[in-house]
Amino acid sequence: MKEITYVQAIAEALAEELERDEKVFCIGEDIQTGTFGATAGLVKKFGPDRIMDTPISETAIAGAAVGSAMTGYRPVADFMFADFMYIAFDEILCKAAKWRFMHEGTQQIPVVFMAAMGGYLGLGAEHSQSPVSYYMHTPGIKVVVPSTPYDAKGLMKSAIRDNNAVVYLYHKALLGSTGEIPEEEYLVPLGQADIKREGKDVTLVATGMQVQFALNIAEQMKDKVSIEIIDPRSLEPLDIDTIVKSVEKTGRAVVVDEDTSRCGAACEISMQIVEKAFDYLDAPVQRVAAKNYPIPPGAMEKFVLPQPQDIIDAVEAVMG
Amino acid sequence: MKLEKDDLILLYRNMVRTRKLDELTIKGLQEGKVLSFYHSGQGSEGLAVGSAACLRKDDYLWGHHRGHGIGYLIGKGLDGKAFLAEHYGKVTGSCLGISGFHFAEPEYGALGAAGTIGSQFPISLGWGLAAKKTGKQQVVLACFGDGGSNRGTLHEAFNLAAVWKLPIVWLCDNNGMAQYTPIKDTYPKDDIADLAGGYNMPGVVVDGMDIMAVYEAVEAAVDRARAGGGPSLIEAKTARYRSHSEGSPDVSHTVTRSEAEIAELKKRDPIETFKIKLLKQGVLTEEMVDQINKEADEEIIETEKFSLDSPPPEPSILNKLIYAE
Ligand SMILES: Cc1ncc(C[n+]2csc(CCOP(=O)(O)OP(=O)(O)O)c2C)c(N)n1
Repeated sequence: MKEITYVQAIAEALAEELERDEKVFCIGEDIQTGTFGATAGLVKKFGPDRIMDTPISETAIAGAAVGSAMTGYRPVADFMFADFMYIAFDEILCKAAKWRFMHEGTQQIPVVFMAAMGGYLGLGAEHSQSPVSYYMHTPGIKVVVPSTPYDAKGLMKSAIRDNNAVVYLYHKALLGSTGEIPEEEYLVPLGQADIKREGKDVTLVATGMQVQFALNIAEQMKDKVSIEIIDPRSLEPLDIDTIVKSVEKTGRAVVVDEDTSRCGAACEISMQIVEKAFDYLDAPVQRVAAKNYPIPPGAMEKFVLPQPQDIIDAVEAVMG
Repeated sequence: MKLEKDDLILLYRNMVRTRKLDELTIKGLQEGKVLSFYHSGQGSEGLAVGSAACLRKDDYLWGHHRGHGIGYLIGKGLDGKAFLAEHYGKVTGSCLGISGFHFAEPEYGALGAAGTIGSQFPISLGWGLAAKKTGKQQVVLACFGDGGSNRGTLHEAFNLAAVWKLPIVWLCDNNGMAQYTPIKDTYPKDDIADLAGGYNMPGVVVDGMDIMAVYEAVEAAVDRARAGGGPSLIEAKTARYRSHSEGSPDVSHTVTRSEAEIAELKKRDPIETFKIKLLKQGVLTEEMVDQINKEADEEIIETEKFSLDSPPPEPSILNKLIYAE
C-alpha cells in the first residue's frame, strides 16, 4: 500500500490508462497545466497530441470527445468546473446519452466527461455546484462521484474502460485529502457501493465530500449511535441492494447529498428505500441536501450547503 | 467629442483609481477578506476606463472580467466602495454580498456578470435588442477576452446583432492569454477583429494600452451604434501583468512566464505612458500627478474601511432573492 492524495490518484489512473490503451486521450481547457492538478504532468509523458489543450469551447470539447468515441477512441473530456458542463448538455445529455439507444444499439460511445464539482470553498453560485442529479436523471449516461483516493483511482480506470458515457465528478474540497491505495493495479467497478463504516442503528448514505462529513460524525456520535455509512460511489448504476440490505438491518435511513435538495440524488435514493424497504423502517427516511437556492459565495455558503450539524440533526431525528 | 483638459485629467485619474483598487483587492484576497477569486486587471486600465468613458450612464455595459470589470464602472462614474464590499461579502456590496465576483450594477447599466466565459454574447445581444426596441439611442458595450472569443456563442450573437442591426459595440481585451493557454494555440489568425468581416460589420484593431486610441475607436463605434448603424467589433491588444487569478501559477501551458517577459509588457503601461504624454502636453504637472495619487490613496483607505465596517448579509435574505413577487 502507499499513501496518495485524491487528486494524485486521479492523475495516476489517467496515466495508467493512457499507457495501457493508445486509444485513450485527454481533451480540455488548460489540462496540460491542470487547473486542479488532476491532469498535471501528463503532457510530459504523453505529449500534446494526447493531452490536448483546447480553446474555451465546451461544446467543441464535448462534441469532439463524443464524435471520436463513436469511431473507437476513448476520450476523457475535462470541463474544469462541473458548472461549465451545462454549456455542453446537448452533446452530453442528448448525443452521448441517447445515440446508442437511437442507433440500433450497435454503437459504443466510450467517453468520460470529468470535472471538479462541489462547494465549501466559497466560490459562489456558478463555481460550486454538484450537479449530479441531471446525469442521474438522464437515461443512457452513468455518473460517478468518488470520495476517497482509492475510489478516485479505481473508478476513473473503470470509467475509461466502460463502453458507455460516464460523467466523473470529483470534489474540489477533497483534492488534497489522502488515503492508501495498493501499489499494484486495481479497479473499482461502477455500480458497487462501499460500506465506509459498519454500524447497526442508522444507515447513512452519502457521496463525495459528504462521506467525509459522515465519517467524522459517526466517530463523534459513536457512544450514542452506531452509524453505518454507505457510499454508492456511482449514482447510475446505483447499487440499491447494498443500501436496502443495510436498512433492513438498521431500520433507519438518512440520505445525504450536496446537490440541491429538490429532485436530487437524495430524493431518488430515499424513494427507492421507501419502495423496497418500507416494512423495515422504524422512522421516516431523512434527507439532507443543499437548500433550494443558488450557492452564495464565502461565509453565506453555509446557509445553503448541507452542514455537518444538519446530518447530526437528521440522525437524531431518525433515532427519535 | 473633443476631450477637454479636464476630461483628459479625469481619464488619468480613473486609471490611477482603478489600479489602486486592484492592488487593494489583491491585498484583500491575500488577507482572506475577499471571497472566492480575484482576476487582476493590471495592464488593462486604459481599455476599461477609456472605453467606458464613451458611454452614457443608461448605456448597457458588460465589462471584461479583468479586475472584475471595475475599471469600466469607474470609467462610467462609480466608485469602488460597493465593489469591494461585495467582494468582502458585505451587505453594502453591489449585490448585498451574495454575488461576490459576479456582481451587477444595474444603475450603471451593468446588468450582470458571469461565471461562464462566453455567456456575455447572447445576453448582451438581448440588451441590444431591448435598446433597439426601446428607441432611446442606448448602446451596449459588450466585452470579452481573446479566450472568450473561442466560444461558439460569439458567432450566434455576432450574426444576429448584425442581421438585426443592434446597437452593440463588441470589445475584445486581447491580452494574448486565456488562463494558462496562449492565443497562438487557440486561434488561427493574428487578429480577432478579422471575425467582423464574416458578419459584415466593421472590425478594427487598436493598441489597448493607449487610452486615447481606445477612446477614439470606441467613440466611433458608439456613435455609429447610436445612430442606428449597427454593431462593430474592436480588438484591443493589451497585456496581463499578473497570473490568471491571484494565487494561480503564471504559466503559458507548463512554462512559467519570465520576469523579463512581464517587464517588457509593462513598458507599454497605460497609466505611465498616458502620464508622460499629458506631462509633455502640459495638461498635467508633477504636482498634479502627486495630488491625484494622494487622493486616490485616501479614497482607497476609505473604501477599505467602508467594507470592513459593513456587516455581512442576514441569511433570511436568501428567500427574498430567489423569486420576484
Ligand atoms: C465556460 C467557461 N469555461 C472556462 C472558464 C474558466 N476560465 C475563466 S477565465 C478563463 C480565461 C479567459 O481568457 P480570456 O477570455 O482571454 O480573458 P483573460 O482572462 O485573458 O482576460 C477561463 C479559461 C469559465 N469561467 N467559463
